Amino acid sequence: MRPLDPRLLRRSRAARGFLAAGGALALVQSAAIVAFAWALASLVTSFIDGMPMADGVPLLVLLVAAASLRAVAAWIWDVVGSAGATRVKAELRKELLTALEAEPAGLPGFPTARIATLLGPGLDALDAYFGQYLPQLVSTIVVTPILIAMAWIADPLSGLVLVIVLPLIPVFMALIGMATEAVQRRQWESLASLSRGFLEVVGGLSTLLLFRRAERQTARIRAVTDDYRSHTMKVLRITFLSGFTLEFAASLSVALVAVSIGLRLVAGDMLLIAGLFVLVLAPEVFLPLRNVGAAFHASTEGVAASVDAFDLLDAAERGVRAPAGAAAVHAGQVNERADAADGLQLRGIRVMRGDRVVLDGLDLDAARGEVVAVTGESGSGKSSLFAALLGFVGFEGVARLDGTVFGGAGVDGAESARSRIAWAGQTPALLAGTIASNVRLGDEDADPVLCDRACHLAGVELDPELRLGPRGSGLSGGQAQRVATARAIHRLLARDAPLLLLDEPTSAQDEGRETALGDALAVLAAEGRIVVVSSHRAALANSADRIIELERAHV
Amino acid sequence: MSDSARRMLRRAVPSPRRLLPAVLFGIGSAGSSIVLLACSAWLIARAAEQPPVLYLSVAIVGVRAFALGRSVFRYLERLTGHDASFRQLATIRAEVFERMLPIAPDGMAATRRGDLLDRFVSDVDELQNVPLRAVQPLVSAAIVLVAAVVGIGFIAPQSAVAVLACLVVGIGAALLVQQRSVVRAEHMTAPLRGELQAAIVEHVQALEVLVAFDAAGAGRGRIDELGARYARATRSRAAATGVAAAAMSAIGGFAVAASLGAAVPLLHGGRIDGPTFAVLCLVPLAIAEVATAVPLAASALRLARASAARVAGAVPDAVPAGIPVAPSAPKAPPSGDAPPRIELRGVRASWPVLVSADGEGDDADRGAALIGVDLEIAPGERLLVRGGSGAGKTTLAHVLVRFLDYEGSYRLGGIEASTLDPADVRGIVGLVEQRPWLFDEDVRQNLIFARDTASDDELLEVLERVGLREWVEERGGLGAKVGERGALVSGGQAQRLALARAMLARFPVLVLDEPTASVDPARADALLRDLTDAASRSGRSVVLISHAPVDPALVDRVVTIEDGLLPAI
Repeated sequence: MRPLDPRLLRRSRAARGFLAAGGALALVQSAAIVAFAWALASLVTSFIDGMPMADGVPLLVLLVAAASLRAVAAWIWDVVGSAGATRVKAELRKELLTALEAEPAGLPGFPTARIATLLGPGLDALDAYFGQYLPQLVSTIVVTPILIAMAWIADPLSGLVLVIVLPLIPVFMALIGMATEAVQRRQWESLASLSRGFLEVVGGLSTLLLFRRAERQTARIRAVTDDYRSHTMKVLRITFLSGFTLEFAASLSVALVAVSIGLRLVAGDMLLIAGLFVLVLAPEVFLPLRNVGAAFHASTEGVAASVDAFDLLDAAERGVRAPAGAAAVHAGQVNERADAADGLQLRGIRVMRGDRVVLDGLDLDAARGEVVAVTGESGSGKSSLFAALLGFVGFEGVARLDGTVFGGAGVDGAESARSRIAWAGQTPALLAGTIASNVRLGDEDADPVLCDRACHLAGVELDPELRLGPRGSGLSGGQAQRVATARAIHRLLARDAPLLLLDEPTSAQDEGRETALGDALAVLAAEGRIVVVSSHRAALANSADRIIELERAHV
Repeated sequence: MSDSARRMLRRAVPSPRRLLPAVLFGIGSAGSSIVLLACSAWLIARAAEQPPVLYLSVAIVGVRAFALGRSVFRYLERLTGHDASFRQLATIRAEVFERMLPIAPDGMAATRRGDLLDRFVSDVDELQNVPLRAVQPLVSAAIVLVAAVVGIGFIAPQSAVAVLACLVVGIGAALLVQQRSVVRAEHMTAPLRGELQAAIVEHVQALEVLVAFDAAGAGRGRIDELGARYARATRSRAAATGVAAAAMSAIGGFAVAASLGAAVPLLHGGRIDGPTFAVLCLVPLAIAEVATAVPLAASALRLARASAARVAGAVPDAVPAGIPVAPSAPKAPPSGDAPPRIELRGVRASWPVLVSADGEGDDADRGAALIGVDLEIAPGERLLVRGGSGAGKTTLAHVLVRFLDYEGSYRLGGIEASTLDPADVRGIVGLVEQRPWLFDEDVRQNLIFARDTASDDELLEVLERVGLREWVEERGGLGAKVGERGALVSGGQAQRLALARAMLARFPVLVLDEPTASVDPARADALLRDLTDAASRSGRSVVLISHAPVDPALVDRVVTIEDGLLPAI
């Protein structure tokens, strides 16, 4: 690992300002340390030489003032470090969330638990990096040379010892840092997989209980944690070795300096005041470096997290760029029938997920006022079709809504097309809050009457003010599904959008509900809208004006 | 602080035997650094008097030995301390999980998943800091500080008093600042961190919907706003912690001045010599450095205490009403592979009302209550329970597998189910849930835990029976991944996998809660036929719960549940 990740500095303006403020504070600290050492050495020497107590007062005042100044500078450093960390975290979080929105269907290699860990505890690990590691790094760069120069002036030989020993430490740091990097990265990953592992166990707890396998999980958690321990201890043995080397070099230099000064004092080659001055200064020369060593360990998790964050940003950028090339291919076809009739027209829609073709060469026409049912067995690409129309996945072929080409790979305006589409997916994905706030998602300013009508059409008979728990908990599967349908209908009404897409809206409903929804969709279509509903339930499909049967794409 | 939180905190401290090495090495390391400075100061000041070199040799050896000792002891202290706390961590994690077992799944406080994740990763990890950053450093530092002050006392009692006074005032001030502002700031940061994390998880999981409804920006805004509040709390905590640290850094200088002032009269009075005076002047610097461990340890303890409270609160101590408790002396379950007769008489059941640890109520009704169910299932019978949404079908299923407690009578082979261990009931009555959970592993792992002796051929055979064999082989066989929460599998396929799993487990009675909700109709009938065939071949009872019509030839009998009522015929 590098002592300072250039990507962080390049990306973050907050980080740069923070480093400049730190440099100034480090200068103040150096001055305070030198003044303290000089005052202390003078006081001890003078008193041993028989100076009366009263004459020492000015020096005592200087001593106390220097100690206080140093403490205040350290406090300001703490505040500045924390402010820097929070600002950089906010910057990164914002960038990450924006990047994720560009790829709502998810990024390969970044499951939601990993993203959640990264955005929460992962970014929080940057606190140690900014609060401890970087301040010490700046101190080392500013304070150490000043103190060595002072020691050199007082006693060149001691200065020489420090100059020889000191550069060895960064060399050790680099060596040990290289050794830790690979192991360190593994630790972050094992932490992430551990967090996923526990979520898995808790999420699957009812399944495990049903199969009477829950007790076995205790052993698994123990095993995973023990694995975590041995992973971490492997890292720590090396990381602490760097700490040991640093402390050892520091102690040894102090010992070398002290012994050499002692021997020269015996020979009468130097003065006691210079000797004491250097003795007080010597540990201070190594202090920032030692602290860097300690903070280095604390910050590595944060650095690993920031690497993860940058990887995700890079992956998102790649994801956005890749289909853009394909766009040019059929850009030519785009204008050819721009004056086509109202309604939804799909021509040769082909959707890939990874390297699997999930939908191949679909043609579909739906006029305004029509309800079209899309049927087909599981895996025939019904959901993929909707994802493509929403612009969540790229597709080949041409899609027109009222004559305007939309969606698909790289065609501009995927977003503006989305504003004319109302959609409900297979999983309800409700949010914490009231039923009404769920139904009115995205159109909170719409007339409340529309909310009532949407609920009525979707068959939601619950109190709109009923509060749902996290992820819409508190509702049965069927109820949640109807609320999700109401949410889509509300958007359709509030925006007067032309197209409603419903993905398996009755999979958890009884026939009565199913028939009612079929009637409601007919009402919506009669108002001049296009309704496309996927279903493998006969009742709903039969109530549609037309049925399109999808076949499983050839691989 | 609640008793259960305190217990949680105590459980985080390893046994004294395991902690002892780290404490001893800590004493060695802190002690060495004080003695190193004392030796060096004495050496230099004594050398200035120009005695024969021989007189200095002990000090020279001491300087080198303690220089080495300080770093070696420190390394060992950190290593042994971390190892001890990590070992404890495994215990804590497992215990938290074990506390969930008796109340799961229906009695778990409705915790946001992200919050739970955050709690487990951060709070439990925080608990490992109890021995590492609180107990061990505190014990080591206290012993060394007392020894150092007593040591100075032998040479110059006045200096000892002066140093002690500085330590007490400095540490006291630091602790006071922590007590006042740091604690307040910390109490603000922890819940905010949880809230932020929960918001992030909800946002990430519902991202498709948020984007499709143009609400992602608003969601991001809410996260930013929460993030800003969290940042403010973090900053004020840092400022308060900084004051404490600054106080500790200043006491070094003050202790030097005080010790020096107290020792000057002794020097001038001839009661101590020059080298001793130098030692008294310099040693407080090293002592103050050791003392910085005390407020750090105290703040680590405080953080851990808040986490312990939240960990303890994440899972309630008491089993909520409505959740079955295993009887102290459970009866033996009906034996044999033959399905027992099931009789329900006047069964009533409802979902527990839960309050989460933050006092945030989850009073939303989680499912319809049963208000009177009379039902008899003969051995080997294939029964269809029909009913609309909200009629109590899922509640009935959860009662049958003892996830939910009941009033009235539920007999299994003539034995009242409440007198049996719920786990034993689940050995007889199996359930395929409406939304089955798939583990983020391969297909084999998702099946094999149902019967770990099953061979690959058996797994493929059962996959064949649920119509998944071709699908699995298309994806490279049993090693195919199903993705996080079955992301790589469609709803229907997930159901089939869950069915395959249940068939492997060979439950004498199998409850299927809406098994065909997301399976296409052509296959649904075939699937139900496969299932009922397999069940009747081995004489098992099957309870099929469905809102959709089912081919009457597939079942022996149909009953209808409505508004929690299933009257006897």
